[in-house]
Parts: sequence; structure tokens; C-alpha cells
Amino acid sequence: MTAAAPARPVTARAFGLTPLPLLRLLRIELRRSTMPWLLPLIAALFWFDSYRPSTGMPPLYVLRTFWNMGQGHTIIDFGPFVAGAAAWTGSRDGRRRTADLVAGTARPRWAAQLAAWAAAAIWAVAAYLAFTGAMFAAYAGQGVRGQPPWWWAAAGAAAVAAFSAAGFAAGAYWPSRFAAPLAAFGGFLAMVMSSQTGFRDTTGWALILPTDSNGNFQPDSGLLYPWLPDLPIARIMLLAGITMAALGLTGVRVRGDGPRMRLLAAAVTAAGVAAAGTAVGLAGTARLSAHGIVIPALHDAASDRPFRYAPACGQAAGVPVCVNPAYRRWLPDVTAALGPVFGEVAGLPGAPARAIQVGAVYDSADGGGGQPMTIGGRPPVLLLPLGAFGLPGAPGTTDPFFAFQLRLFAVHAFTGAGAAAGTAAQRAVQAALLHGAGVPFARQPSLLSSGGLPSWAGAAGNGGSGVAQGPVYDAARRLAALPAAARHAWLAAHLAALRSGQLTLARLP
Amino acid sequence: MNVELSDLTRRFGRTYAVAGVSLQVGPGVFGLLGPNGAGKTSLLRMMATVLPPTSGRLRLLGRDPGSVGPRREIRRRLGYLPQNLGYYPGFTVAEFVEYFALLKDMPPGRVPRAVAAAIEQVGLGAKARAKLRTLSGGMLRRAGIAQAIVNDPQLLLLDEPTAGLDPEQRVAFRAMLRGLGERATVVVSTHLVEDVGAACTEVALMAAGKVVFHGTPGELIACGEGSGAAGDAPLERGYSAVLAASRSAAARSATETRA
Repeated sequence: MTAAAPARPVTARAFGLTPLPLLRLLRIELRRSTMPWLLPLIAALFWFDSYRPSTGMPPLYVLRTFWNMGQGHTIIDFGPFVAGAAAWTGSRDGRRRTADLVAGTARPRWAAQLAAWAAAAIWAVAAYLAFTGAMFAAYAGQGVRGQPPWWWAAAGAAAVAAFSAAGFAAGAYWPSRFAAPLAAFGGFLAMVMSSQTGFRDTTGWALILPTDSNGNFQPDSGLLYPWLPDLPIARIMLLAGITMAALGLTGVRVRGDGPRMRLLAAAVTAAGVAAAGTAVGLAGTARLSAHGIVIPALHDAASDRPFRYAPACGQAAGVPVCVNPAYRRWLPDVTAALGPVFGEVAGLPGAPARAIQVGAVYDSADGGGGQPMTIGGRPPVLLLPLGAFGLPGAPGTTDPFFAFQLRLFAVHAFTGAGAAAGTAAQRAVQAALLHGAGVPFARQPSLLSSGGLPSWAGAAGNGGSGVAQGPVYDAARRLAALPAAARHAWLAAHLAALRSGQLTLARLP
Repeated sequence: MNVELSDLTRRFGRTYAVAGVSLQVGPGVFGLLGPNGAGKTSLLRMMATVLPPTSGRLRLLGRDPGSVGPRREIRRRLGYLPQNLGYYPGFTVAEFVEYFALLKDMPPGRVPRAVAAAIEQVGLGAKARAKLRTLSGGMLRRAGIAQAIVNDPQLLLLDEPTAGLDPEQRVAFRAMLRGLGERATVVVSTHLVEDVGAACTEVALMAAGKVVFHGTPGELIACGEGSGAAGDAPLERGYSAVLAASRSAAARSATETRA
């Protein structure tokens, strides 16, 4: 038996990757990178495409950032330009005929390429973070409430790095003056396809696409519950994998660096492909939970715990109404909307003694809108999933419509119809109570068929006929025509039967 | 010997750019002459370790450039100016030279002084902060020479270094070559025989991928004496005479082969 010779330690030096000269190379590359020249253009695009459209949304982070972070418009604004600029840098030695000069130097070509890529990527990622930071700072200045989606910002930065790596690799492989425009167009095409796939496929692997907002921008994310980081972590893994694979490929093609370096580059490529493949696989296991997309292998139960907060409270017809402080600005709208309903049902069995906000539960089938309110407990408490409603100021939501929504859902909960249109008697009582709460019969059918309401609302609105006629509305009108005391007495006597669904339309006064 | 070539060939498709060259070059300035397409640039690229030979043996600075480790050692000690100098137009002269100093794996602490010295040596001190895109052709050539000499190379390969230089700069450059030749092996490929006469201690003449003459400039001059070859200067006449002899030998050989 012979003693084995001690293994020679493999150091960065052995690969010619001593950090200081690379940092100095990086400094030169940073100074001469083409990326800064594109930043004004990207800034303009970012302003018009990512920031400005978001300012039309109510001042909650989850709503403001749905478009630019959830649907990935910040990435779309950066990606093609970054890919093009990186391809321009990657194709530099081919275009500038410096290949012989650099090939004849001692430092591995791959190391020098990595320095050139790093400069482009640092500029791009720093700009992305700066623009996003400036946008968040602007939001903060506008009083936007909630937690910013930091994980989505991190995924966006990873996407920008991935675009730069892919563009650089394309430029290194096809070094011509057309590399940059082709890479930019390729980046744009990738974004378009990603968005289209994201809109079409709401589950499975497609969730990994950074422009797919399905299920991960929940109504109360960052407000009542933490943002679930599962999906962004998987996306970062995918994008880091793409970055590694692309950079590894640039090293694989450099023959002059020797077999060890090419082996290292191949290993980096393989690790990148493995990371990206794992991320896609993880996305395939994703499921929609009450508060966002959960990936079991990445999920931390601590993320499910709701935030503790001191609620902001007001009074609606003497009934306390409490909401998350982020919704404080809409508290007057909420109390004004619920006051007439509470006035109508005051003193009746099951009439809410209190109303509190609860987290909305995402329902992709219903577009997330119009989650029913419920009444429960003793004394009865009306549970308000405010995050599920279109808030005043949101596109398509006017103050009167917001008030109507709240009144409809509160009355619907009071009649015990649940998540369905309810029996004819329940619909008639609902119509009478809405009328008493300030929604005239004539307006009800059109309001009930409005967009953004759940499917049962249309059925409750006289089947979408648009006119407040028929047996249900006839009975509702008779009930509403009774003197208040008589109506109150009738409701007190029949509410139990009404809520159990046993009351028929014929038994209404 | 710093450069040892033995039956070195390089083929591109069916064409032999270098067809069995054997040379030994020690310290001093070595001139590589020859007409267009003679194979000078391919030979220099092989010596610069950027083009692997098709066959034959190549040793540079006592090392085999075919292996990664020795190749890296050679490259640390190598300076190379290609015929077609590529450059990054956005870089300044100082950045360009520093960039290559770092790529040549120079100790970082030595880089700033070496960069400044190289730039001064080629007379571009006043243009150190100028971007390369603003320089004239001659200045660019000098920036290229600066990057080649920045690491104080033991083996310096210069492909047409005086192309684009004005007469004054060429005189200064030849003086610089002579200085460099005192401590390193300098191989200069050129069309300009006066450069060879003024700076080289040894010269080889290539034609059709082969070395057809190897000797001192004096010996080349002697080849032209009494030959009636064309040329304004003795070296030019020697150059023409050797080339004419090699062409007629090649033609004779081709005729014999056909017969």
C-alpha cells in the first residue's frame, strides 16, 4: 500500500481568478459600459409604463404594485434594453477585432468576460433597484399603505440580471452588430410570450413566469397578511439558474482557457440548468391558499400568521365599525355605506352589533371580487372582507357603487343567502332592505348586474332582465310599503324561517 | 533560445499558411520579412499562442504552449501587437493599456506605474486620457505598442508595428526596439526592409509559408550584391534576390513534379 500524495488545494488563484485585478477590470468596465446610455430611455419607459398607470389605483401597495410588480411591467421595461446592451458588450471582441489581443493574455478569457458582463449587470440591476426604490419612495410620499412587495422587487432584479446574462451570452456566441438588436427583440418576444402564457395559464409551471400575477398578488397581501414569498423565491431560483447557465455557456466556448476552465464553465451551466429546472418543478407543485400561492417545499408557516394591528374604528348608525389602519381613509365611506343598512335592521335578531374587517380570500374563479360578508358570533359581528371589494378611487369603482356593494353584501349576509342568490323570499327581503337603505328598486337590477360582483348578484337582480318587476319585486315592494314598525315586527317574526330557506314568497306580507 | 520552432505548419483548409518552418531565436531584435501571404502573420499568431499549430513543435521561453499552465506562464511574459489592432473606442489610452496589463496578470501594485511608463515610452503621455476613438491611426498604433510592452515582456511579437507611423515616429520606434532587444526577444514582422536594417540583429525571409532565408541583415545584403535584383537600397536588393531565387526554385520543383 502506498501513501496517497496530499491533494493540491484548488484555489481561485489556480483558475486565474484573483479578486483584486478582476475588481480593477470591473472598474474600467463600469466606467465604459454602454448600459448607462440606455438608462434615460428606460427611465422614461418606467415612468410612463410602470409608475404612472399605478398612480390611478387606491393608495395601497398591493393595488399600486399589481400592475408594475405583479404583472411584471418593471421587468418588461428593462428586459429588452438590458439584453440588447449586454449583447453589445458580449459581442465586443468580435465586432472590435480584439479577439487575438485578449486571447493572447494570461488571464482566462472567461474571467475577463465575466468582468464585462458584471459591469453591464451591475448598472442594470442598480438602475432597476434605484427606479423601483424611487417609485416606492414616491408611494410613501403619497401615503400609500401596507408593506411593499420586496420579494417581487428582488425577483425583478434577478430577472434583469438574467436578461443581461442571456444577452451577453448571445453576443459572445454571435458577435456581430446585429447581436444587440436581435437580443433586444428576443427579450421583448420572451416578455410578450411570458405575459400571454401568464394570462392563459393560472396554475402549474406557468406561475414561475415573472409576469404572471395569478394568485400571488392577494387582496390583503402586505396589509392583513404578509406577502407569501414562496413564488418569488422559486422565480429567483429560476432566474439565477438562467443567469448561471448563460454565463457558464460563455465560458464553455472559450477554448484557450484550457480544459479545467471549460469544465468549470460546464459545471456552472449544469448547476444553472438544474436550479432553473428545480424552480419550474417547484412551481408545478404550487397551490392557491387563502392568502396566496403556497409552494409546500418552500413554505414557512410563519408567513400565514396575520399581522397584529390596532384597528381604526368609526360608528355606523351606532354600530362600531373597525378596519385595518391601512383602510382608515375609507372608514367614512364604509360607515356611510353601512349606516342605512344597520338602521334598517337595528334591533332585529342577528343584526350586527359590530363590524370588523377580515382578510379577503382569493377566489380565482370569481376574479377575486365580491367575496360575501358573513354575520356570526354572539353578539353578532359582521365580517367585512374589504380587500375583496373595489375601493373608491380604483378604476371602475365610484363612491356610489362602493356604497352599493357594501349595502348589498351586508343585506345579503343578513338574509342568510350565503354565497348564492338565495331563495325568492330572501331576494325579496334583500330588495326591500336595500330599498330602505337608499337603493331604489328601479336601480337595483342594473346595479346587481354590474361587473366586479359575484355571479349570484346577477341572478338576484331579477335574472338580468334589467327591470324591477315580477313576483320577487312585487313582494319586496309590499314589504317596503309597510310602516317601519310593522315591517320590523314582520321581519322579527320570520327571520329564522327566512335564513333557513323555508320561507316562501307567498308568506311575505 | 526564447523561440524554438521545429517543422511548424499551420493549415487553413487545403492551404498551408505556414509549411514547415524551423527557427531558433534568441534575445535581440528578429526581423520577419516577406511578401503578402507569405505566412508571417500566421507564424506570429502561433508564437502569440492564439493560433494552435497544425503540426510541428513550438517552444516559447523554454515552455510548451500546448499545455495550459505553461501557456499561461508564457502569456504573462508575452507582448503582442496584431496586424489589425482592434480596440475599444470608448476606452481612454490609459484604460486600454491598464486593461491589458490586468489581463496579462501583472501584479496589481505594479500596474499604474507600468501603464504610465509604457504610455510615455510610445510618446502618448499627453494623450493618456484621450479616448481611443479620437486618436489618429499612428497614435492608435502607438497605443497598441504600449499595451504590448506594458508588462515588460521577455518575448515581444510585433506585426507591422510601423504601419501608419510618420518618419519621426518610426525613427523613435526603431530606437525603442533596439532598447527592448537588449533584454528581450523581439520578433518584428514587416514589409519595410529599412526597419529591419535599422533595428534587427537577425532576419528571416518567408515566402509561400516557408523560411527561404535566415541570417543577419548583412548576409541578406550580400545575397543581393551582383544579382541585378530590383531595389533602391542594398537590403531591398537582397530581399528581391532571395525572393526571386525562391520563386524560380519553386517553379523548377513544380515542373519536375509534373514531369
